[in-house]
Amino acid sequence: MKLREFFSADAVELDLKAETKDEALKELVSLLGLDEKSETILVKMLKRRENLGSTGFGGGVAIPHCRSLVVKRLRVAFGRKPAGLAFDALDDAPVHHMFLIVAPPLEVTNPQYLPVLGKIAQFCKDPDVISRLSGLATVDEFLKLLEDKAA
Amino acid sequence: MHAQLELLMELQDLRAQSRALAEESTRQFEQEVFELTPDEARATLDAKIDELADELEPAVRTRYRTLAGSMERVVVPVLSGVCYGCFVATPTAWTSRSGPNTQVTTCNHCGRFLYYVD
Repeated sequence: MKLREFFSADAVELDLKAETKDEALKELVSLLGLDEKSETILVKMLKRRENLGSTGFGGGVAIPHCRSLVVKRLRVAFGRKPAGLAFDALDDAPVHHMFLIVAPPLEVTNPQYLPVLGKIAQFCKDPDVISRLSGLATVDEFLKLLEDKAA
Repeated sequence: MHAQLELLMELQDLRAQSRALAEESTRQFEQEVFELTPDEARATLDAKIDELADELEPAVRTRYRTLAGSMERVVVPVLSGVCYGCFVATPTAWTSRSGPNTQVTTCNHCGRFLYYVD
């Protein structure tokens, strides 16, 4: 399983406009191209997950995630906020890099949710990756980074 | 989308989260990476599920509770005309002129609430 296969260029935003955690969740969801009602349901569900405990696990990275009926296959998005934003992260540091992962409640043939979640967490724990994520100038560079570091 | 269906979908998503936190692999991952306490998180989710279920209209709530008592998934998507609860073809002719998901519908075969994806 290669992470690169799950990301499309239009689901990557290197300069998020969001200034708050809630705005960031909304903006990340908007990258998935769902209808308005589905976006509302999904944002609500992600907030509920965040209320259980922040998915900002430290080092400036957060992985908001949930299962939801509004998607029919696993969807991912990436957003970067160079200035950082408060995300109630475990280390209390601002979050700069956000990976969104959403999967349907039931994955009939090929369960991908937890494996992809694990791969992204592993990917983000590499200090070189974090430094390169911060220095990205284009979406293509992000996709190339995935190819190089998350094969 | 019908407001009751929206509520049912939210309930189903919460149930999916709660169920996932009962699985060892998910529990371990959430605990190790996000320092989540799975049992506490499940208790919070389950309380929210009960609270939201009380907001359903009586007829919908009765059916929801009956289904929830015996099935893990009470709201399921319909993909390509197939109910993803029992995997039996379900009619795609909407009972409402305004299109899919504007009414609360159930599968004729398994009785689950249906959410039309396409």
